[in-house]
Amino acid sequence: MRDETPASKFKWCNLILVITMTVLLIRLWDLQIMRGSEMRKLSEQNRIRVKKVVAPRGIIYDRSGRVLADTRPSFNVYITPEDIRDFSQTVDGLAKLLNVDREDIIDKLKAASRMPPSFPVKIKSDIPMDEVAKIEAHRVYVPGASIQIEPKRNYPYGKMLAHALGYVSEINDEELKTKEYKSYSPGDYIGKYGLEKTYENYLRGIDGEKRVEVDARGREVRTLDIIESTAGNSLHLNIDMDLQTIVENTMENKKGGCIALDPKTGGVLVLASRPAFDPNKFASGITKEDWKTIALDKAHPLQNRVTQGRYPPGSTFKIALALKALELGIINERTTFLCRGGFPFGNRVFRCWKKGGHGSVAVHRAIVESCDVFFYNVGLKLGIDRIHEIADSIGLGKLTGIDLPGEKQGLVPSTAWKKKTYGQPWYEGETVSVAIGQGAVWLTPIQLAQLSSFVANDGITFRPQLVNRVVSPEGKVLKVFEHVMNSNIKLKKETLKLVRDGMRGVVNEPGGTAYGSRLQNVAMCGKTGTAQTASLDKGGHDHAWFIAYAPSEEPSIAITALVEHGGHGSSAAAPIAKAVTEGLFRVKTEIKEARTHENR
Amino acid sequence: MRIDKRRIYHLDWYLILNGLALFGIGTMNLISATSSFYSGSYNFIIKQLIAFALGVVLIIVIAHYDYRLIAHHSKWFYLGGLFFVILVLVIGMVAGGARRWISILGISFQPSEFMKPIMVMVLANMLYEKKRENIPLSLKDIIKPMVWTFVPFILIVKQPDLGTGVIIVLTSLAILWFVGLKRSTYAILISFGLLAPFVAWNYLMKPYQKMRVLSFINIDADPAGFGYHAKQALIAVGSGKFLGKGFMSGTQHKLQFIPEHHTDFIFTVFGEEWGFVGSVILFALFISFIHRCLKVALDANDELGSIMAFGVASIIYLQFTINVLMAIHLAPVVGIPLPLISYGGSSLLSTLISIGLLLNISTRRYMF
Repeated sequence: MRDETPASKFKWCNLILVITMTVLLIRLWDLQIMRGSEMRKLSEQNRIRVKKVVAPRGIIYDRSGRVLADTRPSFNVYITPEDIRDFSQTVDGLAKLLNVDREDIIDKLKAASRMPPSFPVKIKSDIPMDEVAKIEAHRVYVPGASIQIEPKRNYPYGKMLAHALGYVSEINDEELKTKEYKSYSPGDYIGKYGLEKTYENYLRGIDGEKRVEVDARGREVRTLDIIESTAGNSLHLNIDMDLQTIVENTMENKKGGCIALDPKTGGVLVLASRPAFDPNKFASGITKEDWKTIALDKAHPLQNRVTQGRYPPGSTFKIALALKALELGIINERTTFLCRGGFPFGNRVFRCWKKGGHGSVAVHRAIVESCDVFFYNVGLKLGIDRIHEIADSIGLGKLTGIDLPGEKQGLVPSTAWKKKTYGQPWYEGETVSVAIGQGAVWLTPIQLAQLSSFVANDGITFRPQLVNRVVSPEGKVLKVFEHVMNSNIKLKKETLKLVRDGMRGVVNEPGGTAYGSRLQNVAMCGKTGTAQTASLDKGGHDHAWFIAYAPSEEPSIAITALVEHGGHGSSAAAPIAKAVTEGLFRVKTEIKEARTHENR
Repeated sequence: MRIDKRRIYHLDWYLILNGLALFGIGTMNLISATSSFYSGSYNFIIKQLIAFALGVVLIIVIAHYDYRLIAHHSKWFYLGGLFFVILVLVIGMVAGGARRWISILGISFQPSEFMKPIMVMVLANMLYEKKRENIPLSLKDIIKPMVWTFVPFILIVKQPDLGTGVIIVLTSLAILWFVGLKRSTYAILISFGLLAPFVAWNYLMKPYQKMRVLSFINIDADPAGFGYHAKQALIAVGSGKFLGKGFMSGTQHKLQFIPEHHTDFIFTVFGEEWGFVGSVILFALFISFIHRCLKVALDANDELGSIMAFGVASIIYLQFTINVLMAIHLAPVVGIPLPLISYGGSSLLSTLISIGLLLNISTRRYMF
């Protein structure tokens, strides 16, 4: 290196400059020219996110247009862990502002710890306006906290009609895998119960799409374009919320169910099951504690007792026997049996509820006073298979086909059934029990509503239908549900008249088992029932039944009420039916009066 | 202050215009780069222009005094600079986990930046006689320069400001090379050079600095942190394609995908908005500028001026090269500004002081 002169150093320098420029140019060529388009695409993907615009779910109305379920904006509080500057400042501050436990917030953040820190964690759902204002005012003191407005399903009537309406909740992993939900994506809300589930396809709207520019933290900077969502279709129910409210109030603190149908159409006017749950709690993500309370409640608030609860029908079942026996001529108006308060059969005595006995009774008084001995005799004369036959043709023990998910069948036994199930012959002693709705008879309240409809509507029943019509968001009627006949049995006029008179007598004749529930202006027809429960330890009371229709001529409502462990049908269940009928006809009278008033 | 007309005539207008072109591009680019900040570009541009005005005054002052006189007193600048570097460690402001700035009367500055030209002056003053005699430096000769280099280096790396430290050491080595070294000295320096990475890795570097190196070797080593930013920087430059997205239209930096996009990663903004064509022009301007600096060194009146000019050329070359290589993922991430382009008053002033020295040397090239 001795020959190194200053000039040669500068040659080296120039060489280095040339090499530098060459390296830089090759790299730039590679990045900007060769891979330029790929890089451009990556930068577009970086900044543009496609976000879903959730379509509002269809609204559910009652028959007079009152909103039973709609969608409203809710304010939810989120924490974005990445944006927290001082952990305890944000967490403690938020705990104070929202009045929640600091530990709860930390638990929620921990639960989401596997998500990237830019992922917002929901801390509290659906906060009231004053809390929104508080957080907005103190925003600088709780960095990382944000409020997002999200649609939330809203049920203004709370627990009322909960079992019919059902609820929505986030789709889970298993549901996502099924074919039924293949067009859904995680985070979507679906109907999980009740009408929300049955009519999911109508209620669900078409989600829109929004292309937004986001920054490196995923925050929206501006909206590039938007495809608006289309709201779901609304459902108009046959439910009459006035009557529903009456029933819900009457059944407050009771366990049981009540259903009222229009016997001429099958339209469901009332459907109440108690105890109930509040579907609002599910709508914004149910909390663990709330779910525990509902799921572990021994009273099973999630069970729809009207369609899923199976009970022995008790004396209400006698109506079916009377129909069949009269129709076949096994008995007639004047056929009498002697009731001494008991009925010896085989080696035991089947008792009548009235210890002193009813004396000699014909069919009318047997219904009115609910004589057990009379029907023991009738039952034996009919035999179990003919009892099964009439029950089957009315629809007892079968699915009614109501537009709710999870309806349960019942059971009306037959010799064939016993052979199949137990491999044993039927014993006549069992028929005696079945004759008064005990033993192996298990029916749901909605099936018994079919029985009263059957009598009220000359042997015709319709499929119970909650939804009357589906209407598009623009107001176009998309579908009107036709009345589907479930059974249509030709009965003799005398048969019907005798049974109807009997049922009318139950309420309106002195000595009738529901005489206490008679009404002044409407002739309600009914039949009480008291189903003995197997376990007398739970409160010790029997289940109370009452089936009814009104008015006696041209019936417009058929009702079934059940009160679990309510005691006697006459005292526990009949007043509910009375309240419904009273409510219905008071309204009708008012309308009539208003009309006459106008005409004047 | 009487201004000699001949000196104005001898001013290196090539250097001045080339420098102004770079600063002009830098200011324009800064408007775009800072537009997405909360406070807007205005504050940044004003501060940058104030620093520039101050720098121009300093250039005039520096050019007025003979560089030989300045070099003669360089020891005092060195000690003064060292004082501030130590002061940073004591009372410095912490920003981004590092203690690099001190604030005096509300004006904050970064003393380590000023150590770059000071080192050049000190070393030139120390070595020009050897250069004049054209005696290659023995090991003994380089001990003093190395000590004088490593004292500020260690203090600056402690801040930590590895980037400035690296520039200072590399500039010193370049000056030593320029003065001339014995073969044995080369051998020893090279063997130390081979040891340096191990020492640095085990004793000097902080975990985040090691992470930067690791994610340079494997861009996916730290996909959430440095690797992520390196990728975003590549995407920014690459997405500029041939002609760029256009002024103010870069999305990568606007949407905060790139950290420090107004300082150390400023080139990503330019590359994204001006594309291949713009980048080539920018590089050409830099290479031309550095080449001109070298010409000042070549034409200098004496060895002192020659070494000083070469030192300045080294500083600018090293900062430009390392900064751009880092932005296009050919060097690990280290905090080095792009001269005249990056935002930062201290860096701009330091560069302008260096240019002042160059002008000083070039105007006096015919004087004896």
